[in-house]
Amino acid sequence: MTEFVLETQGLTKFYGDKLAVDHIDLKIPRGCICGFVGRNGSGKTTAIKLLLGFLKPTAGSSRLLGCDSQDLTPAIRQRIGYVAEGHRLIRWMTIAEIAKFQSAFFHEQPASAKQGDAGWDSKFFWDMIDYFGLSKKQKIKHLSNGQRAQVSLALTLAPNPELLIMDDPTLGLDAAIRRQFLEGIIELIMRQGRTILFSSHILGDIERVADKIVVIDKGVIRADCSLEQFRTEVKKVRFVFNQSPPQTIDIEGLLGSRRSDKELEVILVGTADEKIAEWAKSSGAADYQTINMNLEDQFIEYTAPAGRNKPFTWEAK
Amino acid sequence: MALWIQITPGSDEPIYLQIVEQVGEAIAKGQLAVGDKLPAVRKLASELIINPNTVARAYTILEQSGLVTTKTGSGTFVADPSLRGKDAADINMLADRMDGILSRGLNLGLESQDIIAMFKDRLEKFIKTRQGGRRKND
Repeated sequence: MTEFVLETQGLTKFYGDKLAVDHIDLKIPRGCICGFVGRNGSGKTTAIKLLLGFLKPTAGSSRLLGCDSQDLTPAIRQRIGYVAEGHRLIRWMTIAEIAKFQSAFFHEQPASAKQGDAGWDSKFFWDMIDYFGLSKKQKIKHLSNGQRAQVSLALTLAPNPELLIMDDPTLGLDAAIRRQFLEGIIELIMRQGRTILFSSHILGDIERVADKIVVIDKGVIRADCSLEQFRTEVKKVRFVFNQSPPQTIDIEGLLGSRRSDKELEVILVGTADEKIAEWAKSSGAADYQTINMNLEDQFIEYTAPAGRNKPFTWEAK
Repeated sequence: MALWIQITPGSDEPIYLQIVEQVGEAIAKGQLAVGDKLPAVRKLASELIINPNTVARAYTILEQSGLVTTKTGSGTFVADPSLRGKDAADINMLADRMDGILSRGLNLGLESQDIIAMFKDRLEKFIKTRQGGRRKND
């Protein structure tokens, strides 16, 4: 049986009469790196705050490591790492002071601990700080955004969290620091049984490290599947006609379309190749071809506001 | 080690297929010879900074196409070509890919014999690299 370290059921949040998160049902198995993507204002941050119990849901519930988000005990929280958007740290502290402050929330690893054991791993923290070219005496307020992000990552990874939740951790970071961040994620996932949920607008990063993708749009989960499945199932097909293309397009999984004099371009989700061939034949298309898209194009097409009132959910197989 | 595999996120081609193609090309060119060991999944994943499952997926596809074999506990190795099956579906896919190249060639205004000559020329170069020694792997 698969163990889900993160589970939600009908998780919903209203701010006044504004619906921010709409009946989210999510299940994330242990060992998964899940990329959480959505446009600005789509409800990512609200969903993350609900998961961590920082906000109270209007309806529904969520569980982290088997414990309800609203009742997370200190013992459970020790096993969860959280990187907030913007990497806010206590500004007047030095790196050494903030390390001491943070480590007090965890038990110290015994000298006999093996790499990957639970508890504050001081050596790991200082190795990481050293790797980033930082030193103990530097004050947080004198660090650049990138350096603050690095300290924040080291603070979050040092207790060796079982579940790591990050809200747009690479926002505003330069390419080199972003790369180090991704290295940190891969390093963590190599340890058995670690699970990561992170949101990002940089789809190249998602493509590198995620094995699952969750797309949220206007508070609704629109896709929840393996990254590979998303890559293969969201496709663009161009039909060429000898006359003007038909007005009605009744292909299964149609997401959007564009037309010119004699061409019709459609975005499809999960449509079998045979169905495409069948439609081409029945609509009298002279020819058609599938056009490869990169993940960014797929995401943009997938969340394009194409006048669909009813958001449509594609269930992963 | 395996620095010759270069992946490009944001490409039209999924990352696992980029790995499949590059390993396939190295084998075709003889840069990887029969019995050569591919980097371990986790090692390649941390070098390329990608999800280990992506590498594992690429290796599975390479194995299914008979290019490599996995020996439990010791790793993934380039397979003996005489044991590689010639799958009809694979050959069809190859023919499909050729169509793309042919249409580009014809659109450039090349004649059939020019295209045939180019194919021959490239094939000879491939075989030459194959005989001309292996890629330094480390």
